[in-house]
Amino acid sequence: MKMVETRPSELNLDQVVEKYRPVVSFKVKKSLGTQTPDWEDVVNEVITQVIEKVKKGEFRGESSIGTFIYTITSRRIVDFIRQKTKVLKGIPEPAVLPDPCDDAESRERARTLAEAIKKLKPKFREVLDLYYYQELSRDEVAQRLGISPRRVSERLNYAQKLLRKMIKQ
Amino acid sequence: MSMKKCKFEDQIDNYLLNRLEGGDRDKFEEHYFNCTSCFEKMEERNELIATIKTRGALIFKEEPMPERKSFVPAFEKVYSFFTPRQWATAAISAALILVAVFGVLPQFKRSTPLFYLSENEAVRGESLSLISPIIDVRTAPSSFEWRQLGQDVEYKIYVYNDKLLWTASTRQTKIDVPEDVKLLMVAGEKYSWQVKAFSAKGTLIAISSKVQFQIRATE
Repeated sequence: MKMVETRPSELNLDQVVEKYRPVVSFKVKKSLGTQTPDWEDVVNEVITQVIEKVKKGEFRGESSIGTFIYTITSRRIVDFIRQKTKVLKGIPEPAVLPDPCDDAESRERARTLAEAIKKLKPKFREVLDLYYYQELSRDEVAQRLGISPRRVSERLNYAQKLLRKMIKQ
Repeated sequence: MSMKKCKFEDQIDNYLLNRLEGGDRDKFEEHYFNCTSCFEKMEERNELIATIKTRGALIFKEEPMPERKSFVPAFEKVYSFFTPRQWATAAISAALILVAVFGVLPQFKRSTPLFYLSENEAVRGESLSLISPIIDVRTAPSSFEWRQLGQDVEYKIYVYNDKLLWTASTRQTKIDVPEDVKLLMVAGEKYSWQVKAFSAKGTLIAISSKVQFQIRATE
């Protein structure tokens, strides 16, 4: 499952940037929240730093390129928050879920997804409601519905499988 | 997408729902920088959770409660109990009591206590107080507002009727109510709301009291 270890000499920077921009964006948005207007700047700064460091030979292949980029991303986020608050000492707890509804296409996808959820059988809708909307724990959901925690996970997984199918149609 | 399950997959929900702490969170983050399969699954799950969070009020809307039908005759029975003049007297008395309870008494209240969390945490001072709506309103409120609690604070608002109706997060001290949530708030019904404040580290630093308001039945 782990990505293939990359040797520095084999690194194609364009491919690296293309592949990791969404990953870096996700982490930055999750840490800063999409309400932070500067999140895109932070992503661009991370990418620039990655390119510079690789060009300077600072990526020596001791870790995977993913871990290398993760470290740069985390440090940049901590620095950003320090600059903003000047008091925080650690990495902040993620603020909000990255909002997928930030463009028309995603909004349309969210609308389709919402419609699909409405069409699910009540037993699937209720686990999604309790677990994701009301944020009960898996055990609490199990208790509320009188089923085993394992069954809760199965229903969640199956609900997502059904949704994936419905959306493809 | 590979069919083989990665051992980190079970943590996707916990990460997205902010249930992973320090080291576990860092490990998971480093993992998804290295595992395309987990990252793709997480993006998909994030879309699902965000959709549920933003549209849940509409998606999980329940059928109207059957007892609401008996409300109208019961109301008429009560209404015919008094003459209009008696009703006016009762209304004025009620207004005076409301003014006393919400207007005058709070002025005698001592300032809210200070509290300390740990060495690293700033002292956040006063408790979180809600601004509006705090009594009754004519129509479903288009926004909720509360007092600011320092810089870099994340607020989470909860609106309830019998159960949780809507929840959302913001860094502002005011939040607009989405149209679909407004549609769920009907005249004559009572609602309550509450705000929790979190530091940038995600620590809960203050909880407001739960304030109830009613949307007045249209005449």
